[in-house]
Amino acid sequence: MRSLFAAAWVAVVAVAAAYLAVRVHDGLPLRTDLLALLPSEDQDAAVQRATDAVSRQLARRVVFLVGGESRVQARAAAARLAADIEATGLLVPVTRGLDADQLKRLGSLYGPYRRGLLAEADRDLLIAGRGEEVADKALAQMFGVGGIADGNLLRIDPFLLLPSFFSALPFPLSRLKLDDGMLTLDDDHKVWVAVVGLVVGEPFALDLQEKIVRAFDTSAAALQDATPGLEIKRLGAVFFAEAGSSTAIREASTLSTISMVGTIALIVGMFRRIRPLLHNLLVVGIGIVAALAGSLAWFGNLHVAALLFGTSLIGVAFDYGLYYSSTMFDPADGTPRERLRRIMPGIVLGSLTTMLGYAALALAPFPGLRQIAVFSVIGLVAAFATVVLLLPALDRKQTVAHAPLLLGAMKWAHAFWDGERWRRVRALLLITAVAITAAGFARFRADNDVRHMQSLSPALLREQEDIQRLIGTTVATQFLLVEAGDDETALRREETVVRPLLDRLETSGAISGAQTPAAFIPSAARQRDNQTLMRTALDVPFLARQRSVLGMEAVDTPTSTPDETLSLKDALASEAVPLLRELVLGPGLHVVTFQGLTDPDAVRTMFAGIAGVRFIDPTADLSALLDKYQYRAVLLTALSALLMFLGLARRYGWKGSGWVMLPPVTAICLGSAMLILIGQPFNFFHAMALVLLLSVTSDYAIFCAESPAYQRQVTLLAVSLAALTTLLSFGLLAASRVPAVFSFGSTMLVGILLAFFLAPLATRGKPSLSERSAHPTADPCNVGRLVR
Amino acid sequence: MAAPITLGVFADAASGITPLAEGQVLRGRFQQLRFLEGLQAPLKSAGNFTLVPGRGLIWRTETPFAVTTVMTPAGLVQELNNREIVRMPSARLPFMSKLYAMLSGALSGDWDPLESAFQITRQEEGRNWRIRLEPTRTDDPAMPIRTIIARGSRLLEELEVVKANGDHDRLVFLNQKLESTPPRAEELRLLDNAGH
Repeated sequence: MRSLFAAAWVAVVAVAAAYLAVRVHDGLPLRTDLLALLPSEDQDAAVQRATDAVSRQLARRVVFLVGGESRVQARAAAARLAADIEATGLLVPVTRGLDADQLKRLGSLYGPYRRGLLAEADRDLLIAGRGEEVADKALAQMFGVGGIADGNLLRIDPFLLLPSFFSALPFPLSRLKLDDGMLTLDDDHKVWVAVVGLVVGEPFALDLQEKIVRAFDTSAAALQDATPGLEIKRLGAVFFAEAGSSTAIREASTLSTISMVGTIALIVGMFRRIRPLLHNLLVVGIGIVAALAGSLAWFGNLHVAALLFGTSLIGVAFDYGLYYSSTMFDPADGTPRERLRRIMPGIVLGSLTTMLGYAALALAPFPGLRQIAVFSVIGLVAAFATVVLLLPALDRKQTVAHAPLLLGAMKWAHAFWDGERWRRVRALLLITAVAITAAGFARFRADNDVRHMQSLSPALLREQEDIQRLIGTTVATQFLLVEAGDDETALRREETVVRPLLDRLETSGAISGAQTPAAFIPSAARQRDNQTLMRTALDVPFLARQRSVLGMEAVDTPTSTPDETLSLKDALASEAVPLLRELVLGPGLHVVTFQGLTDPDAVRTMFAGIAGVRFIDPTADLSALLDKYQYRAVLLTALSALLMFLGLARRYGWKGSGWVMLPPVTAICLGSAMLILIGQPFNFFHAMALVLLLSVTSDYAIFCAESPAYQRQVTLLAVSLAALTTLLSFGLLAASRVPAVFSFGSTMLVGILLAFFLAPLATRGKPSLSERSAHPTADPCNVGRLVR
Repeated sequence: MAAPITLGVFADAASGITPLAEGQVLRGRFQQLRFLEGLQAPLKSAGNFTLVPGRGLIWRTETPFAVTTVMTPAGLVQELNNREIVRMPSARLPFMSKLYAMLSGALSGDWDPLESAFQITRQEEGRNWRIRLEPTRTDDPAMPIRTIIARGSRLLEELEVVKANGDHDRLVFLNQKLESTPPRAEELRLLDNAGH
């Protein structure tokens, strides 16, 4: 019968593995977008598209500044660098100044429609009935010094409205000047030449980032060798990403090597044979295969975050295998099956409570947490089945000779918690723990600011600051999203609603500038309105005077018919307006970008509640998402603990359940408090670690509670092994320099140590026999009783 | 010790004009003819100017249209009836800083600031001199000037500026006076306003 179950389980695993192989062969459908992690009511495809488009645009931008002693030196080096970078085919150079060619293209796009184009300042004057000032301004330019006087222009545009419109176009200001085809800037000591490039292809692709960085490094090193004193600075998301990932990869490979070697050494050293190691790898391996196959079948795809966290959570299953293997140390000899029977109640109850804890994650309306829950519950069931059905079959009856020494150490640990001798020390510990927890909770502060969770290279940050200082303000990552049924509606909204608010923000200094699509291409309605204004407020009263002062005869009539307007579609197709394509994502879906954004909150407040206009702050939005997830995760951890307590109370009684839950709950509360006290603000990664911590440490407690008195040392030895392996895998992450990983790792490190130290306390919770016999069907351990 | 600079001493034969000293102010009248492609008659204007070395140039057009233009290294500001109508920082339009350097250089005889961008040729005939400036680079779109020709004896008398598109301005300077009195309050206000 039993071997039938085992054979059936092997068949199930084989099916799961085959299904997984097929899915992997078709390309594992892993999702990486953040949208998939949002609660469905918060999902917004337009925002996501805009965020993607803007962040991709920003991420594609690369700026190099080459600083030389002289103009010639800087230009030569910059040209060399540009050529080297371009030769890779990964970057295309762009000039961001308006060169003569671009000006010509702008002129031929706008020229025919000039009667509908007015600079905002001129328009305001005309509306206010101050057309004379507009006329005077043109005359002042013509008769003053150095006016941009052009006779041909003057003939068709005697009020010089088009040059005024051009100079009011909101191209981002920078201190870079176009000097003979190169963007140049002089500071006190050096001549700086900028090389601006755009990444070709996917800026977030790791291999692309590496190639670009390598090409830059090689070229820069060669240039600096040839010209001592040459300074080369760089700015671009690819550099930060590359530095970040290469640090992370280096660190991850070090940590995982230590973890793997340590775990193998620990298990092989403890058992002095290889078999337990293989058994445990089999348990976790089958768990992950089954979880992957099951989740893919359930959801169709899997988010990469769910995969990562889920895999960690399944790691708990390692403990069940270890517990089984540790029965080798049991002085009471037995066949593999007898040994399994002895620990069965512990691992049944342990896995049930763990599953309860993980399943609670599915209660939140967050797709990410739901996937993690399903993934880890399936994985746990599979791991459990493997321990129960396969391990005894694979095992041989054996005992370990070096057991007495280890078991002696375990005996001492129990004595500390039970012996009268240590009573005062225990009381002191209790008071200290309560004090620390209270102090920590009083100082609780959550911080899910994404910028604090990345470790940005300080050298690159310095270069970024240098470049920003040299060239002036740069484009902000935050933006406004204008959504309307069509372009015309969107443009009108930008003119009538957005622009006045932007003006107020500029006046208050919250931003230094902004680009709206409507500033480049006014709505058709606005263009018609401008045409009327020009006729009534300018031509009729002042045209004759203007011409006579300028000594011109009244000849030319405007070349464009008054009703013609320039459409956004045509302007986009002409490619004549730089920036415009970045601002228009689709019909009616427009982006407004900011320069010199100093007060994002002011902008957010200003546009709150404006229909069809949204302030998008990708970094803040991600931080807010993490905030939500953190809050839910903490809440669900508390709920899990409560459910566990209620479930365990059926077996241990209220008081007993309290004793069993004491170590895990203390590990969570005291551990978090300690981390807060040493100055770690609480974040999402701490919260996720708590989910794992609760299930892992409750297992320790249950193993201890379930073990009969004569077997306690063996159980505690198994718990020590489990705790050590967990420390080697998760606790080691506390050594990470990536703040997110560090948060997770340090929570695990402190929590596991505490729970391990406190685990013997759980033996005070004893299964109450009356409870069990009274409600046999409701017994969470009826599976355990079957094998007993 | 530096020798005191006296008015009317034309010691520097190479430049033709004695460069203005600190604290001196140059005043005079001008007539401007602006020849523009596409217009049959040149635009004529006249007025007066004040040059305060190191500070800026105030250019008051009186006819046919009264407008005051103040140029400083920071940029250009135009006022009409004491109301500012145009402000162009040189950061926004780099040519503005060259324009100031050119006009103040021509009037004060200090051509040094222009040497980086222009090739300078000098001719002399007795007390009269002629200076011709041509941009060192001809393909720079930010350089709207093709040639500058300056003529004078003790001070600058005539200036011709040929733009890249063939348009040209002809300026005649009259009644020039070098004064050691400080600039007037109104002039200081204009310079201060344009200088930041």
